[in-house]
Order: sequence, then C-alpha cells, then structure tokens
Amino acid sequence: MMRSWIGGVLIALGAVALVLIAVLVVLGIAGHPPWTVLTTWFQGAAGSWTRLALSVQEAGPLLLTGLAAAVAFRCGVWNIGAEGQFLIGAVTAVAFGTVLLIPGPAWLVLPVIAVLAAASGAAWALVASGLDRWRGVPVVLSTILLNFIALAVVGMLVQGPLHDPATTAPQTALIADHLRLPALVDGTKLHLGVVVAFLIAVVLWLGLTRTTIGFEVEAVGLNPVAARLVGMPVAARQVLVMALSGGLAGFAGAAQVIGVTGMLSGSPVSYGYAGIAVAMLGRLHPLGIIAAALFLGMLSTGSRHLERRLAIPHDVGDVVQGLLVLAVLVAAAIAARRVLRPQGEEA
Amino acid sequence: MNDLVPVLIAAQAITAAVPLVLAGIGESIAQRAGVLNVGIEGLLLSGCIAGYAGAVLSGCAWCGLAAALIAGALLAAVFAGATVLMRLDQIVVGMAINLIAVGGSGSAWLVLQRSGHEALAAEAGFSRGLVPFVSAETQAWFAGLPLVGPWLFDQYALAGVTVLIAFAAWWVLRRTRAGLVVQALGDAPDACAANGIAVRRWRVVLVILAGALAGAAGAYLSIMRTHGFNPLMTGGMGFVILALVIFGRWRIDLLVLACLGFGVVDALQSHLQSRGLTAVVPYQVFQAAPFIVALLALTFMRRGISGPRMLGMPWPAER
Repeated sequence: MMRSWIGGVLIALGAVALVLIAVLVVLGIAGHPPWTVLTTWFQGAAGSWTRLALSVQEAGPLLLTGLAAAVAFRCGVWNIGAEGQFLIGAVTAVAFGTVLLIPGPAWLVLPVIAVLAAASGAAWALVASGLDRWRGVPVVLSTILLNFIALAVVGMLVQGPLHDPATTAPQTALIADHLRLPALVDGTKLHLGVVVAFLIAVVLWLGLTRTTIGFEVEAVGLNPVAARLVGMPVAARQVLVMALSGGLAGFAGAAQVIGVTGMLSGSPVSYGYAGIAVAMLGRLHPLGIIAAALFLGMLSTGSRHLERRLAIPHDVGDVVQGLLVLAVLVAAAIAARRVLRPQGEEA
Repeated sequence: MNDLVPVLIAAQAITAAVPLVLAGIGESIAQRAGVLNVGIEGLLLSGCIAGYAGAVLSGCAWCGLAAALIAGALLAAVFAGATVLMRLDQIVVGMAINLIAVGGSGSAWLVLQRSGHEALAAEAGFSRGLVPFVSAETQAWFAGLPLVGPWLFDQYALAGVTVLIAFAAWWVLRRTRAGLVVQALGDAPDACAANGIAVRRWRVVLVILAGALAGAAGAYLSIMRTHGFNPLMTGGMGFVILALVIFGRWRIDLLVLACLGFGVVDALQSHLQSRGLTAVVPYQVFQAAPFIVALLALTFMRRGISGPRMLGMPWPAER
C-alpha cells in the first residue's frame, strides 16, 4: 500500500523531469539558454507571494476540471466534455448574477448559484449518458460534440439575452457587485472558490477511497462485467459519475466567472481539455490531482511570463501538457512491467 | 445555367466533403484494424500548419503538401508507438496528441508570423483547378461546362486524388486479402496472430497511413481551400469525422455518402447565411450545425451495428 503510493509519485515526478528536460533541450536549440528559461519560468510561476497566489488562482479551475475528468475516468466513463460543462456552468452563474438576480444576502445567494451552475453542468453531461443508454452513442464522442454545441449555445446567450447593453463587444454584463468574491491576496484574483475547490478534492478523496459507492465506482471502472456479476448497479454508478463529473466542471465555470472574470465573452476556455492532463498527471487520485493542478497552474503563469520576457510562445505550455500525459502513461507502463515481470521475457 | 442554386450547392458540397473523405478513409481503416485515434483533430491541425509552413517557406505548394503528409505521419507514428507498441490507452493518448498539436501549431504559427510569413503568396499555394499542370484556360473551359462544370471540374487538386484514393481503399477492403486482414485485425487479432500475421506491425503501418491521409486533409484546408492558416482552423472537424466514420459503419462507400450528405448540409447553411438568414436565426446555430447534425446522426442511426469488436483494446490483451 505504502509502496504503491510512493511509486505513483515517482512515476509522476519522473514524467515531469523527462518532459522538462526535453522542452529545455528544444528551446536550447532554438537559442534560449536552459538556465535562463528555467529561472525566468520560476520567477513567473512562484517568484513572489503575488505570483505564487496567481499560480494557485490558475490551479483552481484546473483542479476542478481535473477532478471532473478523474472521477469519470476511474469509472471507465470517457467524459471528454468538461469544456462544455464548464461553459454551461459559467453561463448559468452569469445569468443568475446579472439578469436573473436572486434577492437575498450574498452568503445565501452564492451557494444557490453554485448549486444551480453545478446542476446545469451535470444536466449537460447527462445528455451524453442519456444518448449512451438510450441509443448506444459512445460517450467519448457525444461529450466532445456537446462541447462545440455548448460553445455555440453560450455564444448565443452572450450575444442575446445576456449581452451587456453598454458595449458592442460580444460579452455579458458584469455580475452584480455584491455577488463578486473578494480577492484573498492583493494583486491577484485568488478567491474563496479556489479554497472550496481544494476542500472538494479532499472530500472526493475520502468519498472514493472510504465509501462503498467509491469502491463500486472503482470496480465498475476496472471491470464492468465482473462488477455486474457480483450485483453492483453498474449503469447507476456510471450515470452518477457522469453527473458528478459534469457538476464539478459546471461549478468550476461558476467559480471562474464569479471569482475571476466577472463576465463571459463566449470564447473557448480550454480548462476542460487541460483537466484531462491534470487528471492523468495526478494519476487519477484526488490528492495527486491537487499537486498536478498546482504544477500546471505554475506552468501556465510561468509560460505567460516566458512569453513576455523571452518571447517564447505560451502555446508551448499546451505542448508540455500533452507531453506530460504521454510521459506519465509511458512511465507507469514501464514501472508496471518492472514490478510484474522481474525476469524480462519479451513478447 | 451554372449559377443555378442546386449546381452551386453541389459544387460547394463536394469542396467541403473532400477533407472529410480523405481523413475519414484513414480513420475508418485504422478503426477497422482496431485502433481508435481520437487524435485525428490534432493530425488535421498538424497537416494544416505543416502544409502552410512548407508552402510559405519553400514557395512551392507541392513541398507544402509533402510536409503535411510527413507531419501527419510522424504524429500518428507517436500515437502508434504509444498505443500499439506500448499498449497505452488510445483515448487518453489521442487527447494528448490533440493538446500537442494545438500547442505545437500555435507556437509554429507565432514564429512564422514574427518572421513575416503571415500571408501565403499566390504562387506558393494551390490555385483552384482539379488537375495540376493544366493551363488556366483549359481549366476554365472545363469548369464552364454547363451543369456539370462547377461541381465536377471547379475543385481543388486533391479532390480528384481523393476520388481515386476512395475507390482504391474501397476495392482493397472489399476485394483483397489485405482488406480481409484489416478487418480481422479489428475483430479477432488473436486469430490473426495464430495465422502468422504480425498484428502490431500491421496496426502501426495502418495508423501511420491514416495519419498521412489526415495530414493531406489538413493541407487541403490550409494551402488549397482557405489559402492561409489560423490557430484552431480545424474547429472540431476531426471529431465530426469520427462521427461520420461510425455513421458510415466503417465502410468506405457509406462513409463517402455520409461525407457528401454532410457537405450538402454545410453548403446549404452557407447558402442560407449568404441569403441573409442570419437576420432571423443567430449565426451560432450555423456554427453548431455540424456538431448537432453529427450527434443526431449517431442518435438516429440504426442500432445493433457495432464496430470492430476489439476497437480501442490494446493487443495482446494481457502480458
């Protein structure tokens, strides 16, 4: 038990080291000395308390979409739709923060909005579950297609009923002042929602590892046929996981608009797809995902700093995310082979 | 006579269907062999940027096409190495390929822009014309043929090649031993192995071939159809192709029909948009239309048709 935990951390660290070396070598060939890149990146990601707080702020949505992906993947449900569920949650929160204002004090209204946003994200995800159960449409494909449909729906709302009358730009009005969350650190928009995200991760960790339902989710993911044979409610668990996953992504969207942006502009956000990288780097374990989200949050703020200082495109960050996913899988496969087959026979 | 609406729509439908068919053939073959490549969106995008960069840097359109073929094949080779040889999860690796392609093409585009290469010179891209090396006058004469000219001859160079590739793929899958092997690879890899067929070598080759086709489709988008590049220009087309492959039941003939039908929807919507329908219907409806159509197609296609039995499964099953 203890050893598998250490093994998992080593695999993730090995993958991170491998990818960082590869990227530094490539940037070195392109004429950027590795040490300068590394120190500039670190300055941007954690060079001061403000910068560190910015990285944590960036880790918030990544943590939630990472958990959304991980919860589904653990159960063998391929929800690639966090992107769309995030947007739907965000637009719900904006709607209830602008045109559909709920009367009442903020401490009462904000949780209501959070729940509504999570519910809308879950509902969007359940469309995919429904199509799977009813017509056998593969979830991996329907969730991706729903991402693009969500983007259009949000675009329509942003330029339609939610549009800010004061501007011609495609954006919504600002969420009412009393419903905005204050910054916890000066110079950043680190807000209470990020703290809640970390609490959710811990609760999910307990739920997945210490409860019967968590055990069933795991079992269904490992072998749905065997799970059915021992009498587990396979379909119910798959639907539950989908709702939970969509709810987390929807909540992430709400937290982002309430805490950080204050409005929505109807362009893609990419937190959803990045969540897959977070989940894989965190080895689908909630605590691992906390670490992975913090690292990728630092990667994001650091790479924007690199773009400003050294003119290295911040898109390199996306490449690093993809490479990290590959590296983690490769490292895990090599480790598994080492452990399972001590006397290496080759197939 | 050639500006009749049905003629124009037929011409536009075929123009829109070409990249779908090209990349769809590759994906169909790879899936038949048991490999699900969700990274096809990334393969397309890599073809777009490599084709554009190749054409703009060398000043030669054919070099662009070659670069796109190589880029698609290389990225697919990474995918094949990870999934077929290392037996890693196909969906997760596919999404990783997408991330790498989005970031890689975005970075490359920024570098190109900074070095002053944001516009493709006319002679560096492919001009409109079905058969290359034919004079513009001959081209225009064929394109001007009544009724058949616009949709048959006023197409880009890859359109004719795509028809040939589609026929070849259909014939190989339908009529040859290789086609039988491809199908068996996806349905019963164990039986293949027992018959002395190198399952993993076949799969690697087929996946790389599919990657090259997707790369070519990307080049069609950047150096032929739009004559330029913009980040995320594929805009989810790869995922629509995944839906079309399923809707075409992994058969080339049905896939081509599905892509043509899709092309007609696409042409109709741009026709309606140009007729000012956006005043009544928000343009986002048109933006979402391909994905809604794809989702509806999957929802209402006949049930009970399952794909290759071992689709998405690593082989050998345990080791």
